[in-house]
Amino acid sequence: MQKIEIIKITSLNREPLVVEGYFFQGSDPKAPSVAIVGAMEGKTILPLYTASKLVDFLQNSLSDSKKILGNILIIPSINHYALNINERFWPLDKTNLNMMFPGYDKGETTQRITKKVFDAIQGYTHGVILETRDDLSTCMPYVKEFKSGFEDLEDAKKFGLKIIHYKDLKPTDTVSLQYNWQLWETKAHSIVCPSTTELQVDSDEIFEALVNFLNKNNILQHKFLGGYESTIITNEDMLIVKTPNSGIFVPIKKIGTQVKENEVIGQIIHALEGKVVHKIIAPCNGVITCSYKNALIFENAVAFRIAKNS
Amino acid sequence: MQILEIFSSKLPVGEDLVIKKSRFEANSNLQNSKRISIVSGIHGDELEGQYVTYLLAAWLKANPDTLRGTIDIYPGINALGIDSITRGFPLYEVDLNRVFPGGEDEFLPGQLVHALALDVKGSDIAIDIHSSNIFLREIPQIRINKEFSNATLPLAKELNCDFIWIHDAITVLEATFSHTLNTMGTKTLVVEMGVGMRLTQEYGLQLLKGILNLMQKEGIIQTQEVFEVREPFSSEVGDVYYLNSPCSGLFVAALSHCDVIKKDDKIGDIVNPLNGEIFETMYAPHDGILFTLREYPVVYEGSLIARIFGGNDAEN
Ligand SMILES: [Zn+2]
Repeated sequence: MQKIEIIKITSLNREPLVVEGYFFQGSDPKAPSVAIVGAMEGKTILPLYTASKLVDFLQNSLSDSKKILGNILIIPSINHYALNINERFWPLDKTNLNMMFPGYDKGETTQRITKKVFDAIQGYTHGVILETRDDLSTCMPYVKEFKSGFEDLEDAKKFGLKIIHYKDLKPTDTVSLQYNWQLWETKAHSIVCPSTTELQVDSDEIFEALVNFLNKNNILQHKFLGGYESTIITNEDMLIVKTPNSGIFVPIKKIGTQVKENEVIGQIIHALEGKVVHKIIAPCNGVITCSYKNALIFENAVAFRIAKNS
Repeated sequence: MQILEIFSSKLPVGEDLVIKKSRFEANSNLQNSKRISIVSGIHGDELEGQYVTYLLAAWLKANPDTLRGTIDIYPGINALGIDSITRGFPLYEVDLNRVFPGGEDEFLPGQLVHALALDVKGSDIAIDIHSSNIFLREIPQIRINKEFSNATLPLAKELNCDFIWIHDAITVLEATFSHTLNTMGTKTLVVEMGVGMRLTQEYGLQLLKGILNLMQKEGIIQTQEVFEVREPFSSEVGDVYYLNSPCSGLFVAALSHCDVIKKDDKIGDIVNPLNGEIFETMYAPHDGILFTLREYPVVYEGSLIARIFGGNDAEN
């Protein structure tokens, strides 16, 4: 393993931001390669935890380093400055690094950062971006794939995660890493991680998915128990369950559970008077994929997303 | 004058989020009368627009007999952000000017911008007033997307601004208020002036005059008053030069904003407060007008320090 310095940027009062990549040279020059980008924003932990766990696994857990067939580059965090002070975006100007691609070496600070990252991850066969949802919800881990014209859904299935969310491209997605990376001919995928700030017992699920993905692509000779046969889900397969009332949100059913039509899956409580003002009812049989993550919920906010059983 | 609610949502704890507009219209129904909408505060850290809408509302109140059309004023779109010094929509941390056109089924910021877009829809003209951000100070200028410039450039020239910057179409900017409204057939102009979190009174008065002039030319107000407006310079006749900081440090400006400058004039120093050294001195890359200048002193490598417009006739 070799540490590669990707970015070094000084700061007025803080110590320099040094972003490093962990590069594992593959034993088979003909094998495909992969680059994995971890935390681009702060306030979440799984992208960072998963990427750093993979670094440790590749370095310390393989019986023979020759089992790494293809080149692997892992950048566990780009935005240490945000992570260390629980900010989400670039701390000075609050720009989202994942809206700054492909970057520009003569531009603003965050464009310079993304340019250096983008240069470092060029030319890899596969690319993985570990993200979290950009709204106020948390979710089952899933693969997010834009309908960009360059996507590779078969490759996305190799993670063995239950869901591949196949999404329409919005104007703001054209400045994301996934879109730009695909444009430059890397099979890039995003894994959307639960937006948790604490680790849970099942926190290794995404790490296992990454290892299985590397295995199925002949980058790594190691595998865990097989994953799932992924289902490709578009917006038509999802039901959005909103709350007509604002107040305190009490989820009754957890993410990942099967629910029945007409079952009560959550409640909204009047924030000052304590009474139940709304019962959230499952509109169909299906699995809860996403849930609002805060206790205080807005009017008309999405409380749950449910993938319909077919 | 009427005060109307364009959007409301019950917040979780004992408060409603309400977005309001004021409407000024002619007493009698006039045929073919035009409607103009003035919008500000899409970014919560920008206040210059609120000063302009105050001045405009006050003028219209004082001169009700001039009204020949409809004027809608939307002073504070990101109400939660403005009152809490937050640029984006609080909690969601999204830039409201990147979520248009929004939709009824979207998250709260999307519902809000959707309500705004629907309410402004049908206006002949819309003006979206921004004040840069807390980092940069701008002279009064109009930003125009090339795609819509045939319709909007003639209007921009009436607004008493100093500079018209015509830029190429960029996909990511399709999610802005101006792109959405221009697409819906409202001629929409974006004003950038001043700096975030502050009021620049002279700019407010300057833009007020421009808006009154435009409304007079469009027949929305009728008055004997003559609004003399300045002729803006335009990016069509020259180039914009960017000056980004080569290093991180504290920026200390050497000249004042809006100056006419010569190539190699000193713009400022990036200094080290710890040991008293100057990291880097920055010089103008070209003759021209310094139309953007760094206001917030903390800079990183890459932070924008200045923009200079170097026109063929910049010295005139
Ligand atoms: Zn703005």
